[in-house]
Amino acid sequence: MNVEPAAVLRTGRVEQGLLWSALAVAVGYYLGARLGFLFTLQPHPISTLWPPNALLMAALLLAPARWWWMLLVAALPAHLLAELQSGVPLAMVLGWYASNCSEALIGAALVRVFVRGPLRLDSLRRAGLFLLFGVLVAPLGSSFLDAGLVTLIGFGDGDYWTLVRTRFSGNVLAELTIVPLIVTWASWRPRELRDALPKRFAEIAAVFAGVLMTSVVAFELPVFDANTAPALFYAPLPFLLWAAVRLGPRGTASALALMVVVTIWGAVHGLGPFAGGPPQDTARDMQLFLISVSVPLLLLAMALEEGGKAELDAHEQRQQLTHLSRVAMLGELSGGIAHELNQPLTAILSNAQAAQHFLAGKELDRHELSEILKDIIAADQRAGEVIHRLRALFKKGESHLQPLDANELVREVLSIAHGDLITRAVEVLPDLAPNLPLIEGDRVQLEQVMLNLVMNGCDAMTAGGVDARRLSIRSRSSDALVQISFTDLGLGFRAEDYDKLFQPFYTTKPQGLGLGLSISRSIVTAHGGRLWGSSNPGHGATFHISLPILDLGPITARALN
Amino acid sequence: MPSVAIVDDEEGIRKALSRLLRASGLDAESYANGQEFLDAAAEHRPDCVVLDLHMPGMSGLQVLRKLKAAGQRLSIVVITAHDEPETRERCIDAGACAYLRKPLEDRLLLNAISAAMRAHTPHIKR
Repeated sequence: MNVEPAAVLRTGRVEQGLLWSALAVAVGYYLGARLGFLFTLQPHPISTLWPPNALLMAALLLAPARWWWMLLVAALPAHLLAELQSGVPLAMVLGWYASNCSEALIGAALVRVFVRGPLRLDSLRRAGLFLLFGVLVAPLGSSFLDAGLVTLIGFGDGDYWTLVRTRFSGNVLAELTIVPLIVTWASWRPRELRDALPKRFAEIAAVFAGVLMTSVVAFELPVFDANTAPALFYAPLPFLLWAAVRLGPRGTASALALMVVVTIWGAVHGLGPFAGGPPQDTARDMQLFLISVSVPLLLLAMALEEGGKAELDAHEQRQQLTHLSRVAMLGELSGGIAHELNQPLTAILSNAQAAQHFLAGKELDRHELSEILKDIIAADQRAGEVIHRLRALFKKGESHLQPLDANELVREVLSIAHGDLITRAVEVLPDLAPNLPLIEGDRVQLEQVMLNLVMNGCDAMTAGGVDARRLSIRSRSSDALVQISFTDLGLGFRAEDYDKLFQPFYTTKPQGLGLGLSISRSIVTAHGGRLWGSSNPGHGATFHISLPILDLGPITARALN
Repeated sequence: MPSVAIVDDEEGIRKALSRLLRASGLDAESYANGQEFLDAAAEHRPDCVVLDLHMPGMSGLQVLRKLKAAGQRLSIVVITAHDEPETRERCIDAGACAYLRKPLEDRLLLNAISAAMRAHTPHIKR
C-alpha cells in the first residue's frame, strides 16, 4: 500500500498535538486535585471547589472527539497519584475516577451535540448551552453516581441525599469557575500582549486589584460583624461589572476566579461571613453565593462580546466595501490617470532628448542646459505627486479624522480627475467660497465622495451626448454647515427614480457597480452630514453634500490659522 | 528655417518640444490653446503644426475640423497622452498627416514632421 508523505506528516503532527494535550491534562489534573485538597473544609472534609473534573471537561470541550478517550486515560495516573496520597481506599479512588470522567463526558458530549468543533464562549447561545449541559446537567448526573458509589463502598458517613447535594453544588461552582477560565484563555495569543496599549494594562491591573481588595475585605478580614456582612457581599460587584463590560469573557472569568479563590481561602481558614457554622452550611452558603454572582456576570460578558463582535464585523464589512468601491472608481479613472502620467513623462523625455541634441552641437549653452534640468525635475515631481495622490486613495485603512478645508478637498479631487476631465472634454467651473470654515473628517473618504459625484456628473454628460459638458462645483457655508454642490448638464434623473439612486447595486451605467452613491451617502452620514440630489429632467442634476463645521475653541482656531 | 507651431495646453510640454525642435534646426512657435493658434495661423501660416488632442476648451479634433471647414490645408502632426482606438482614424479623416502617442521619441516626431511638410509642400509636384 502506498502512503502519501503528506498524509504521514499530517498524522505525525496530530499525534504530537494529542501527546501534548494529554500531558497537559495529566499535570493539570494532578495540580487541580492538590488545589482541591487545599480548598477542603475541616474537620469534616468537604471540598468546596474540586477543579479536576472541570479541567477534564474543559479539555474535552476544546479537543476533537477522537482524542477524548486518550485524555481520559491520561487523567488516570494523575488521579491515582493524588488520591492515594490522601489515604483513600482503592475502590473509592477508582469509583471517583469513574464519576469524575462521567461528569466531563456528559457535559462535553451534550455540548458537542449542539456546537461542532472546539467550544468558544463568545455568544449567548454557546454560553447557554454550556451553562445548561456543562454546569447543570453534568454535575447533576455525576453527583448521583458519586454519592451512590460512596454509599455503596461505605466511605464516609453522610447520608445519600446530603452527599448528592454537597457534590452537586461543589461541582457546579467548579465547572462555572474553571471551564470558562480555561476555554477563554485557550484562545489567547501572545500577539494580544504586543498589541495592547499601556492604558489597557493599567485598566486590567485596576480591575484585578479592585476585585482582590474588595474580596479580601469582604470575605477574609474579620473587620465587620455578621450584621453588616450581607451588605459587604456586594463590595466586589462594581469591579466584576467593570470586568464584564470592559474586559470580555476572558477578563470576567479571570476576575470571578480570583474572587472565588479568595472567598474559599477565607472560609477554609475560618475567616469571612461564611465561616463559623457547621462546615456543610458554610460550603452551601458560600457556593450558592458564588454561583449566583458568577452566572449573570458571565452571561453579561458573553452577551456584550457577542454584540461587540457583530458590530465589529459590520464595521469591517463596511470598510471593505468602501475600499472596494473606491478601487473600482479608480479603475474607471485609469485612462485619465495614464494621461496624467504621460504628460510629465513626455516633458521629461523631450527635454532630455533636446539636451542630447544641444550637447551634440558645437556650442554648449550652460544656461539652457540648467533650465532643461530644472524642468525635468519639476515634471518628475509632478508625476510623483500623481502617484502619491493615487496611493492615498488605493490604501486600505481605518478612518482617521482631522480638520479639513473642503475647498482643498475639491481641488485635490479635481487634480485626481484632471486627466479624465480633459480627455472627456468636461469643463469644470469651480465657484469656491473664500475663507470656508474647517470641517472634520476622513480625507480619503470625503475625497472618495467628491470624486464619485464628479465622475457621476461626467458620466451623465458623456452618456447624454451633451455638447456643452460643464460641471459646476460650488462651496458655501452657513452658521453650522459647509455645503458643496456638484451640478452637471446631463439628462438628470426622474423624480420616481430618486430613492433608487441611493440603493446599493442600482446603476444606470453599463460598467457601474451601483455602489457609488449608496456608499457616498453612508460616508457623509457617518460624518454627521447629508448627501442629497435635485434634478431638472433634461437640464442636468445637482448633488449636494453638507457637513457640520468643526467646532474649534478660539485657541485651536488661532493656532491653525 | 521651417517654422513649426506647437499647440498644447501644458506649458512644460510646450517648452520641452520647442527646445527639441530648435535643437534640431526648426523654428518653433507655441500656443496654449486651439483658438490662440487659429488666430495666429490666419495671419501667418506655419510649415507644420504639432497639435495636442486633449485640451480644455477647444480640442485638437475641433481645431482640425475648423481648419478643414475653412479650407486651410496645413501639415499637422497630432499628439496625444490618451490613446483611444477610434481617435487616430477620426484625426486622419479630419486632415491630420500623422498621429503620435506621448511620450514622443525625438526621431519619430522629427520624421513625422518632415514627412508631413513634404506631403503638403505646394510647389513640389507629386
